[in-house]
Amino acid sequence: MNAWIVILAAGLGSYLFRLSAIVLIDRIAMPAYLQRASRLVAPAAFAALAATGVAAACTGLGITQAAAPLAAVAAAVIAVLRTGSSYAAILIGMPTLWITTSLLSH
Amino acid sequence: MISSLADRHDLAAGARAMAPWLLGIVPFGLVIGLSAAQADIPTLAGWLTGPLIYAGSAQVATIQMLDAGAAPIVVVVAALVINIRLLLYSATMAPYWRGTPWWWRLLAAYLLIDPSLAVGLDGYERLADQHRAHVRYLGGAVLLWASWLAAISVGATVGVGLPAWLHLEFVIPLFLVGEAVPKLANPALRRAILAAATVALLALSAPLHLGIALAIAAGIAAGLTAQPAVSARSAHPLQHTTEALR
Repeated sequence: MNAWIVILAAGLGSYLFRLSAIVLIDRIAMPAYLQRASRLVAPAAFAALAATGVAAACTGLGITQAAAPLAAVAAAVIAVLRTGSSYAAILIGMPTLWITTSLLSH
Repeated sequence: MISSLADRHDLAAGARAMAPWLLGIVPFGLVIGLSAAQADIPTLAGWLTGPLIYAGSAQVATIQMLDAGAAPIVVVVAALVINIRLLLYSATMAPYWRGTPWWWRLLAAYLLIDPSLAVGLDGYERLADQHRAHVRYLGGAVLLWASWLAAISVGATVGVGLPAWLHLEFVIPLFLVGEAVPKLANPALRRAILAAATVALLALSAPLHLGIALAIAAGIAAGLTAQPAVSARSAHPLQHTTEALR
């Protein structure tokens, strides 16, 4: 139940953001610091969610088992640096996770 | 508003201008659909982030935080903070949509997001005739909307049927790592990313999953301590956003 309300509220709020200046018509001059800050939000959120996601994947696993997600992240970082493509992280990271998980469980 | 053959020509021109953006947003939509299917929320609710929130990073954050069991208010605030740039986009388009009918403003605003802003602005700068530019915006924006929802639907459908040993829940953290790594080259973004990741790890056990919100705030604060690049003075808001439906 909560999930539906959260998604509805976030959607409604986002729509009001989109409408804000269009309805108020006059151009809202956004302060320069707010423009700078708005460009930092998504990278900061992505980094925070990535860190918690990797931590969540490692918790509950033993020391050796936890090496699998960490190896996958390391391989993903190298792949992105090498190729310059963000999606290389998934294309290289997931197979690395499967291989290291199966190696470590034997 | 869409009446003549000339309008159809402009609709098609907008759709063509949008085509290159689809290469970036379709994989992103697939990943979001997958995560909606894997998350501990109804898949339909996850899918609804598409038509309701209609902004990729806020959708990822919403789905991930709901999955982690964060408090509702924390999730809503995080999603809205991520979408604060929409205020800027609204202000960017407002002069072009001044004096247009209400139904148009309600529809055009709903479709406003990074790629539609880019294609739309290009049209308004290129075409002297406002009406033609509106139609061109609509052509690009509707194609984007349809492709985005289709990609999420495919991801969600495929994601439900796949076996657990694939650990598809790890696709999103990897995707986020992939998005963050290239941004490390920019000093302000590097500070933001490293500070946010560090605070997120330190605050893992914070109540209500406030750690993520704290981490975002710390990242923004750290990023603001970097000297603004010369190009940050640019008037074009899109030069600093990434390629996709962020």
